[in-house]
Amino acid sequence: MGDETFDFTGCLVRVRLRDQAACRQLVEQLYPQVIRIVRSHLPRRVAEEDLAQEVFLKMFTRLDQYQGAVPFPHWVSRIAVTTCIDQLRAQQRRPEYRWADLPESQAEVLDNILSDERDTAPGDALAARELVDRLLGQLKPDDRLVIQLLDLEQKTLAEISEMTGWNQTLIKVRAFRARRKLQKMFQELKTQEKS
Amino acid sequence: MSHFNQHWRKLTALARQVPVDRDEMIPPGFATRVAARALLAPSAGSWFMLERLAFRGFIAAACCGIAAMAYGLAHLGSDQVDFFATGTTETVVELLDLS
Repeated sequence: MGDETFDFTGCLVRVRLRDQAACRQLVEQLYPQVIRIVRSHLPRRVAEEDLAQEVFLKMFTRLDQYQGAVPFPHWVSRIAVTTCIDQLRAQQRRPEYRWADLPESQAEVLDNILSDERDTAPGDALAARELVDRLLGQLKPDDRLVIQLLDLEQKTLAEISEMTGWNQTLIKVRAFRARRKLQKMFQELKTQEKS
Repeated sequence: MSHFNQHWRKLTALARQVPVDRDEMIPPGFATRVAARALLAPSAGSWFMLERLAFRGFIAAACCGIAAMAYGLAHLGSDQVDFFATGTTETVVELLDLS
């Protein structure tokens, strides 16, 4: 996030009076937070700048709905999260993932992990990241988001709840469902590898 | 599940090692463009208020409807009791006046 001492209340008052400079300041202040969310949940083929712009435009059009129940940056992060999920939902899901579809580097990383034979090399990180992204791409957008935040960004349940507005039980249910699906995918890939 | 958990943790730990080196600097002109577009767009506030009022109106109308039905049924019930009560002491012959 940007400046911790930024006066959101004062800025919002000016924004409501249609002050363009205040609108610009608000965007500048919240941009790092919004772009971080957009980048980590970016749907395929969607430019991050376009999606960030959509988030900010939604923020301005819904400004009258902000009641001040949560801090303003949290409210904006919820808009960012729901915008990304909507974009993911709008896209068609990828077809079933097969071992033969994996690029060599990803297949090698997965093979090392599944066989527990040797420790992975530091250079495998990028392939692992791509593999994780592809596997997460098979999940429902809500489930994907939960796993992304829990396992990749290592956020706590409370932080995720704050960011998404979902209660902690719902987050746990989504995480459980997503891990079960990932486990199934792992088993299928393992079977294909052996055959 | 434990085997999977172990593998998944290993994979995600490896994936996390990828450095996030993309800066979070706002692109030049982005804030100005968004601010200008935001001021051009109509606010959703009026629609939001309308939605809220419409919902409240719907609830008020539903309550009035239920109250009217309850009132109507209560009166209908009492009218029917009176109607049948008047005929209980008369015989069929008296009612039809066949003599």
